[in-house]
Amino acid sequence: MSPLLEVRGLVKQFGSLRALDGVDLDVAAGSLTALIGPNGAGKSTAFACIAGAAKPTAGSVRFRGTEIAGMAYHRVAALGIGRTYQIVQTFADMTALEATTTGALLRRPHLRDAVAYAEEILAFVGLADKRYRLGRALTIADKKRLEVARALATEPQLLLLDEVMAGLTPAECGAAVELLRRILARGVTVLMVEHVMEVLMPIAQHVVVIAAGKTIFSGTAAGAVRDVDVIDAYLGSPLEHGAIATGTP
Amino acid sequence: MRAHLIALGAIVVVVAAAVFGLRSAVALDLLFTLLLYAVLGQSWNWISGYGGNISFGHAIFFGCGAYASALCVTHGLSPWLAIPAGALVAALLAIVTGFPTLALRGHYFSIATIAVAALVDAFVRTTPWLGKATGFELPIAPGWATMQFPQKGTYVALALILFAAVQLATMALERSRMGYYLRALRANHAAAAAVGIDERRVKLVAFAWSATMAAVAGVLYAQYTLFVDPPSTIALAISIDIALIGVVGGIGTLWGPAVGALVYVVLAKAVALQLGGAGKGYDLVIYGAIICLIAALRPYGIVGTIVDALRRRRGAEAAA
Amino acid sequence: MDALATPAQLLVGGLLTGLVFALVAVGLTLIYGVMDVVNFAHGEYLMLAMYATLALALLGIGPLVGLPLVAIALFLFGIVVYRVFIRRLLAGPPEATVFGTFGMLVLLQGLAQATLTSDYQSIPNPPFHGTIRVGAIAVSQATLIEGIGALVLTAALFAFVEFTETGRAMRAVAEDRIAATLMGIDVQRINGLAFGIGAACVGAAGALLMLSYPVYPTVGAAFALTAFVVVALGGFGSIQGALVGALLVGLLEVFGGFYLSPELKLVPVYLAYLIVVLLRPQGLLGRR
Repeated sequence: MSPLLEVRGLVKQFGSLRALDGVDLDVAAGSLTALIGPNGAGKSTAFACIAGAAKPTAGSVRFRGTEIAGMAYHRVAALGIGRTYQIVQTFADMTALEATTTGALLRRPHLRDAVAYAEEILAFVGLADKRYRLGRALTIADKKRLEVARALATEPQLLLLDEVMAGLTPAECGAAVELLRRILARGVTVLMVEHVMEVLMPIAQHVVVIAAGKTIFSGTAAGAVRDVDVIDAYLGSPLEHGAIATGTP
Repeated sequence: MRAHLIALGAIVVVVAAAVFGLRSAVALDLLFTLLLYAVLGQSWNWISGYGGNISFGHAIFFGCGAYASALCVTHGLSPWLAIPAGALVAALLAIVTGFPTLALRGHYFSIATIAVAALVDAFVRTTPWLGKATGFELPIAPGWATMQFPQKGTYVALALILFAAVQLATMALERSRMGYYLRALRANHAAAAAVGIDERRVKLVAFAWSATMAAVAGVLYAQYTLFVDPPSTIALAISIDIALIGVVGGIGTLWGPAVGALVYVVLAKAVALQLGGAGKGYDLVIYGAIICLIAALRPYGIVGTIVDALRRRRGAEAAA
Repeated sequence: MDALATPAQLLVGGLLTGLVFALVAVGLTLIYGVMDVVNFAHGEYLMLAMYATLALALLGIGPLVGLPLVAIALFLFGIVVYRVFIRRLLAGPPEATVFGTFGMLVLLQGLAQATLTSDYQSIPNPPFHGTIRVGAIAVSQATLIEGIGALVLTAALFAFVEFTETGRAMRAVAEDRIAATLMGIDVQRINGLAFGIGAACVGAAGALLMLSYPVYPTVGAAFALTAFVVVALGGFGSIQGALVGALLVGLLEVFGGFYLSPELKLVPVYLAYLIVVLLRPQGLLGRR
């Protein structure tokens, strides 16, 4: 069976800077795949190219067998890819319920159905009691939850999560992992960019490591920690050293 | 929702009573102007308030209706025909000019609307069949077919119907996919695209409806004043007035434009009564001060502030 | 006039008109470049400066002597406006600056209409009159002085932004506000200074314009609309771009006015704006 998402030879050039220089990755349906790499490796750029926010210079991105590289952003979402942002992008003057309803309207054109589904999703992510709060009035952790709710409301088959754990307290991280397990249990496939390795280790079935815009490893989390190239890539960037070392204290 | 319907019903009843009760031509004139401005403000509000594309050239759509009316009359047709014709031309103009410009952000869009309006203005002023700079004076011919009435009250009643229709349409907008999508686009266009919103399509549709409303108001206005020329319909000054009304009451709210129109008409009249011709400018000082205050303290305007407060209260009740 | 209206005459006239536009536009582009604000009230600042120059002239202080005084007055005005108003707008949603400066336009416009006569007023005994002739080309002395003033002002502003410490800080803020803060630059102070200097530029422009133009309450609109186009054409935030854009607009307007009709002189200008903003949104010399 071919994977849900298949990325081959992804290249993105910004002027003279080659941010991506041949990224390959596969995401199997129903799995949780983690995309990691040192700072500046091109993780966010790769994410933007997959989600449709940026047009890759070369390479292919196939989602359910359809080529989506360079497709308009909103059409990628309509095909079934939802996403969150590294720096939260809320609809500031909408309540949590309104923002989630906006997502739900993609597959439910009638407001009544969309609101009902949004209520359900908000309960699922644990924001039911805050549904009348304005987006800008939520805490960082709740804003991130709201972004997940908004993306889930579009009923994606693939959910792209960009550093959802960053900036959260350990307790909040724990709750986020719990939510991730439940999202996977719903049958939604997840591809996530993450720095905090130790929380990912137990749940990521598949790890892809990129460095300097190239895929250097693809395999299990345990394999990544032992891989010579991966260790080299992280050691080459001392600031990031802790990111992977904390995985095996 | 029900509260809004009751409020609208109450306004309709009060104004309708005034139409029968009032004999003062001045009072009826004020009422007509108020309703017309409320419609124009709401029309602006669709694209600039809900959608966040601030237009300083909205008068051209009002002009489409006014000129359609003048052309129908001068060609021996009923001005009622100008309602669909003017609306169609306005919607097409909105689509043609909006297609390339609606994707421009912030001031780029605002200045583009000024440029487009200036080009339309220059076109009208130099086109013989549009009456060039002198415009049209419409012949007096009272009757339903000619949309001319001996009683000012009849115009007020028509304006009231138009106002009620526009308010109902806006209530529907607020409870529709397009209304949610416009607000989402205004708040964050990238995040909006990420939930599958096609910005260009949503905004073009909103812009076309917005232009349609302004055009219908233009038809009524032309038949009321029986005079159509560039300064009274499509000039930059009219566009600025429309934007002013839209901002003062609160952008992106159902009642903001009506409140803005009320403030506008009352202030203009009060200043004129108090100070006569010498009072020129004082009303501008007050609008200017209101807009500055709103922009600095409460960007969503008078009504926006109330809506926020209500939302918070409803949230508190739900939590309790 | 018509007999002299050769292409050469039009070219010179267009370039000089363009320099006058540049005079008004450089301040606008500086403010835009540093803090991403289009000051819709810019034309009203020009109106204030022109009235200030007129008041000084009535006291016996000519426009060229009055120029630094007016520039300083507008500088202080700009600083105050930034401190009490623009700063708050920048903290709000992106449309707040459009509404806020638009509100200021309406406010200043109203104040002028309410307190001043709507008559056109010119300075008594203008110091430069008459024309200079070179072959078939005639140039009014006052316009020539204005043109030279525009070049000096643009060059001075360019040198300030490129070569001084404060100018470098302004460029850093324009480039990346957050990075500038991390580098220890006081962004609020730099923004305030840029707003003040932008206002001072339009102060100098107002003083020079009084050499040949009358002042009236709505004088700002005529210049401001062209200034927005100039700034967009040249590239928002680019000082040398504003000069190029202004010359282009001056030429378009003069040639358009001559070959189309005076009523249509702005048509090529607005068309140029739409074409540039749609095909090259960063403007002719813009960085972004």
